[in-house]
Amino acid sequence: MTIEPQRPVGDPIVVDDFERLSFRVDRRAYTDDDLAARETTMIFDRCWLYVGHESEVPGPGSYVARDVGGRPVVMARGSDGVIRVFANSCTHRGALICSQPAGRARSFRCPYHDWTFSIQGDLVGVPIPDGYGPGFRKADFGLARHRSDSYRGFVFVTFDPEQPRTLTEYLAGATEYLDLIDDQSEVGMEVIQGAQLHGARANWKLMMENSVDIYHFRALHKRYVGYMESLGSVPPRRRGGFGRALGLGHGANELPPAAARPLAYWTPMFGAEVRPRIEATAARFVDRFGAERAERITGTNRAVLIFPNLMIIDAIAITIRKIDPVGAGQMAITSVALAPKDEDPDIRELRKSHYLTFLGPAGFATPDDIEIVESCQRGYLNRTVRYSDLSRGMNKEVPETTDELPAREFWRQWDRLMHGDDGHLEVAHRGEMQGAEAR
Amino acid sequence: MTTELTVDEAAQVRLWHRVSQFLFREARLLDEWRLREWYDEMLTHDIRYSVPATDVRGETADALGLIDDDAARLRQRIEQLLNGEVWCENPRSRTNRMISNVEILTDRGTHLDVAANVIVYRFGHGRSDAYVGKCRFELVVEGESFRVRRRVVVLDHETLYEHAKLSIIL
Ligand code: FES
Ligand SMILES: [Fe+2]
Repeated sequence: MTIEPQRPVGDPIVVDDFERLSFRVDRRAYTDDDLAARETTMIFDRCWLYVGHESEVPGPGSYVARDVGGRPVVMARGSDGVIRVFANSCTHRGALICSQPAGRARSFRCPYHDWTFSIQGDLVGVPIPDGYGPGFRKADFGLARHRSDSYRGFVFVTFDPEQPRTLTEYLAGATEYLDLIDDQSEVGMEVIQGAQLHGARANWKLMMENSVDIYHFRALHKRYVGYMESLGSVPPRRRGGFGRALGLGHGANELPPAAARPLAYWTPMFGAEVRPRIEATAARFVDRFGAERAERITGTNRAVLIFPNLMIIDAIAITIRKIDPVGAGQMAITSVALAPKDEDPDIRELRKSHYLTFLGPAGFATPDDIEIVESCQRGYLNRTVRYSDLSRGMNKEVPETTDELPAREFWRQWDRLMHGDDGHLEVAHRGEMQGAEAR
Repeated sequence: MTTELTVDEAAQVRLWHRVSQFLFREARLLDEWRLREWYDEMLTHDIRYSVPATDVRGETADALGLIDDDAARLRQRIEQLLNGEVWCENPRSRTNRMISNVEILTDRGTHLDVAANVIVYRFGHGRSDAYVGKCRFELVVEGESFRVRRRVVVLDHETLYEHAKLSIIL
């Protein structure tokens, strides 16, 4: 019987040991309330965070209101077409200026005292204005505007005025994957209406790890795999796939499709009727991008983790999953489907149907993921077992999808940020990206 | 003092009673996990069972929902639940469905549109959840009884953050 050594000096949470090819995470990371509070200030107050997709605010005056990094914000498209992200809090005394989750408006009127803000965030109306002295200027009381930017339709915000990176710099190697997703339509991608708003009684990081973990697929998702096989799903045309670290905490898995892809990868489970349409689309992609890139866009599945809390899974459907901590032991999950705006209606139905087979709180797979992360969280109550192990693939030049490289990339960035280092080690770390981790 | 029912009213009461009994039986079979019986005896071959998303609540036809099962996927859901393949329903939840406000919206002779309210309590794995929703049924008249052809449960919850998942049949 072995006995765990005493905690090392400094008592680190992430124990990254290249010598022994061992990577361990102290389970306090999932259970400790102080660490959860520290994540808010060291990670969510500093990183670029995903707000939404541009298609969710399609025209001037359209807006969505949601929480990002624990803060209520409004993302609105101005009459000038510009997308802005504001604090959803009245500059007078704080009420939410927008309590509808989505809509279209010319202005936002605060219900408390009727201060009115334009869709561009300017304060345009104050009832009974003679209560203020000559120093009162409406220009000083516009909605607080957050620094926001978008990359290929994905809108992010940062609450850190000193965030040193532009969004593109921050996204690092993940831009390659957002390109592969946004390239799926010439006229743009759109979020399909209907969000799956659910959660799990577990630490948010468990769902981030789960979402880039392919190792569990055959074990935990037997019932999904069984159903897909019963529909005539055939094994992938080619084998392989790999995991990647994309820098700054982002990671991805890329692998041949196990089933089909509604964009342009037909297999018999989609039925003969749509085959010509799907194959015609595939041919158009070859014309547009050349055979190799077309195959990567249309014939490859991927799961991309964008640090800290965004997952985009592009397989039999595309899901955008935003995972928000609610204290140490609970998370909120927002999942939506992304699809080409110009998608054929029959294929859109196939996409939605297969989305629901796999994904969401009542799919044939996601509930098991939720159950298992909740089960891990319960397991952590037994503090005798101190560490979780995430070392799979440290022994390989090119880690496979069943390895844990993307999760390690996540944890390494988590650890840097929690130590107040905003990633200046990135250059040194680049050597640990794909193919060089076990140098 | 008693008030005589007219012939028409008496027929309506009988129909309402039969519909209510049918829905109560459905609830009981689901609570007793007699899912194959429910599927075989109470649903049509072209059953569609759906639960719209909690944000758009089925108001938008093209929206993505939470569940949109045709007969094949519903059958598969049932088999998975009964075979213990659904981790979060193994061991099985205890459920209790309360059906009320049963109202026949339209009677088209061979088809009925029926509304009802439902609360499903679910207990299991140390959790207790309540799902509150409005049901819409399309019933096909079959002799003295019915079969369900369309079954929509519109949840009243704003989100399922608390519930996390929806692993039972509502
Ligand atoms: S708090 Fe908004 S108008 Fe007073
Ligand atoms: Fe999974």
